[in-house]
Amino acid sequence: MKLFVFVRERQWIPVIGYLIYVAALTAGYYYNLTFVQLGLTDLGTREIGMSPEDVSIVMAVLALLTLVAAVGSGLVMDRRGWSTDLYVKFRLLFLIILVQLLLTIAAPLVSTVEQFVFWVVVCSMTLGLGIPVTFSFMLDFIPIRDRGYVAAVVAGLSFFVAALYPVEWRIDEFSLVMSAMMVPAVLVLAVLSVKRFAFVDVLAGQHERSTFGTGRFCRSIPIRTLSFALWGPILLMFGVFFIDSLGFLRIIEEPLYIYTSWQSPDLSVRLFIAVLHVVGAVAAGILYTNFDRNWVFLWVFGLFAFTHLLYVFDIQFGAGETPALILPMFYVLAVSFYTTLNFALWPDLSTAETIGTHTALGVGIAGWLATFMSTALALYSEGIGLPLGRHLTYVNALSLLFVVALPVLLYVHRMFELARGGASS
Amino acid sequence: MNLELIPLLIIVLLMISAGGVDVETTEAVIEGDHEITEHRGALIVGDATVTVPEDETISGPVYVIGGEFQVLGTVEGDVTQLSGSLVVEEGGEIGGELQHIGGSEELADEADIAERTTVEFTPAEPDPVAAYTPVVLTTLLLSFVGAWLSRKRPVLLENIGTTARGHPVISLTVGALLSVTFLAVFVFMAFTLVLLPVSILGLLIGLVTIAYGIIGLGYLAGKQLDTPRVELATGLGVVGIMVLLQVAGAVPILGDLIAGGLLLIGLGAVVVTYFGLQKFEPVSLPE
Repeated sequence: MKLFVFVRERQWIPVIGYLIYVAALTAGYYYNLTFVQLGLTDLGTREIGMSPEDVSIVMAVLALLTLVAAVGSGLVMDRRGWSTDLYVKFRLLFLIILVQLLLTIAAPLVSTVEQFVFWVVVCSMTLGLGIPVTFSFMLDFIPIRDRGYVAAVVAGLSFFVAALYPVEWRIDEFSLVMSAMMVPAVLVLAVLSVKRFAFVDVLAGQHERSTFGTGRFCRSIPIRTLSFALWGPILLMFGVFFIDSLGFLRIIEEPLYIYTSWQSPDLSVRLFIAVLHVVGAVAAGILYTNFDRNWVFLWVFGLFAFTHLLYVFDIQFGAGETPALILPMFYVLAVSFYTTLNFALWPDLSTAETIGTHTALGVGIAGWLATFMSTALALYSEGIGLPLGRHLTYVNALSLLFVVALPVLLYVHRMFELARGGASS
Repeated sequence: MNLELIPLLIIVLLMISAGGVDVETTEAVIEGDHEITEHRGALIVGDATVTVPEDETISGPVYVIGGEFQVLGTVEGDVTQLSGSLVVEEGGEIGGELQHIGGSEELADEADIAERTTVEFTPAEPDPVAAYTPVVLTTLLLSFVGAWLSRKRPVLLENIGTTARGHPVISLTVGALLSVTFLAVFVFMAFTLVLLPVSILGLLIGLVTIAYGIIGLGYLAGKQLDTPRVELATGLGVVGIMVLLQVAGAVPILGDLIAGGLLLIGLGAVVVTYFGLQKFEPVSLPE
């Protein structure tokens, strides 16, 4: 790892860059995992008294607005050169966290549907802006060599903490934890936004170095925004998020599955899940750094296919008994795998000129649009009374389709390359 | 799930398959405490405590391969015990044949058992020669194969050995992921019964790959001997690795971790080099 070289050579400024990146992204992802994805459901259903279907519709709107805000802000950042201006990004992040802190404090006070919708709209704006701002930090702080490992640390740490704390997926508990976490971050960012520091100047110039500024997959030819090289991975990641969300949205409604794993009262079970998240993320980081990215995609789809197969099997033959931990185990591995990939992939498909747009498109479409569509589909599936087993069979079929389609697409793509090369020669 | 149960599980699934029991009604209980009050079809008791309560009846057959099976009520069919513990309390009834092959059993005098057979195994004397014979034979076989390969196709072992030495973390990661995933997939396949042959074949291929990994590590160890007779060095290297695995296996936890890690590194190195056919090169990243 390049980090060890920096430490050995006592270059502490790049090391500070690693720490800022890990702290910012871990806190951001933890916020998203717990407060936005789980806390809002509790707020809508328990505090306001909305039906789970109505809350899901609002969550889907949140996902769609976040996508729009992310793409819009990503484009503006690239055009105005903000993607490469660290001071501007610190100021934007300060603004984002300040608004989110206010939203977080206000969340338990939200009591009507109108307030809830307004809250969600403002939240989606901050989340959308946060995507290009935070994901483009990779360009300033993390050299290409270490991106897989650092992405693994971010994914592993966020999931580890989220699996252990808080135990209750309730908005008031989330609100307290998040507010306490955000206050120091707001203060630090406030200082960094108004005052210039020598070490920040050094960090701000790191993207001009060849080992930082140009992503791993843009080394020979920069990837254009309108190219298969970008939209292929976006499609694949969309598939991953869609499969995960579509399956998980129905699984969490089954107390048998959720209270014996993610929300188990038994600490050792949650610790097992937390440790597995870390193990899965580290494994994904190692694979991403040393193999072609398509192997990681293949693993993710394979793991999801197998996981959903296990759930379907358990629903059909489990006879309502406590499900074995092997079920969440494979789910956790798959989720850690693709989350690690998500953090590292988009900056590696970008240059300093395109990182805002590419990360916004990648995370926005793959993450948020997939969530929006899968939520809608899960609601539809529930609405027509589709049994959980049948629903997961469809999800499983989709995973298997991707497992098969990926190598076929790669093969066809290679054929096209060869044909084009043959024609030109 | 206890990994030691897997061979017994596969044997039982073969027995169920041969007996023509409907796969859809077969249930395996591999952990936790359970009371079974109604179950039509075969029941496999793994690492769990399963009780048939008083006044309750299940159809059977029941296969006990671990854990504990307590009968206070009635099992209409056969009960086959391969391992674990079987307790038939006073008033408990087994309508079919109770076949005892292994494990401990406790049958109350008043228990009602229609037919009982015991497969007797002559208790083995604590003979160290007999105990180590399989290990010695395996070691000799792997040594000969290693020696032969190092003479005929040294490049295969060279690729595996250098990958294991140069990229142990990558090899370990790949080995661990493959073993966890494929072990689960093959056990899962076995439950379908239709795919049982594929499952057995897959597990055998897995074992052969691990053995190949040991030979690769043996080749690497043999190179340290600094002798021009590469086949002899590989053979001795394999012996060294097997001895190390045995010694490490005798040390609880840490020894198991070392032995498991070595095996997984070997497995990963075999896979990433396409069984030694290609030198492994990680993707090139700017330094």
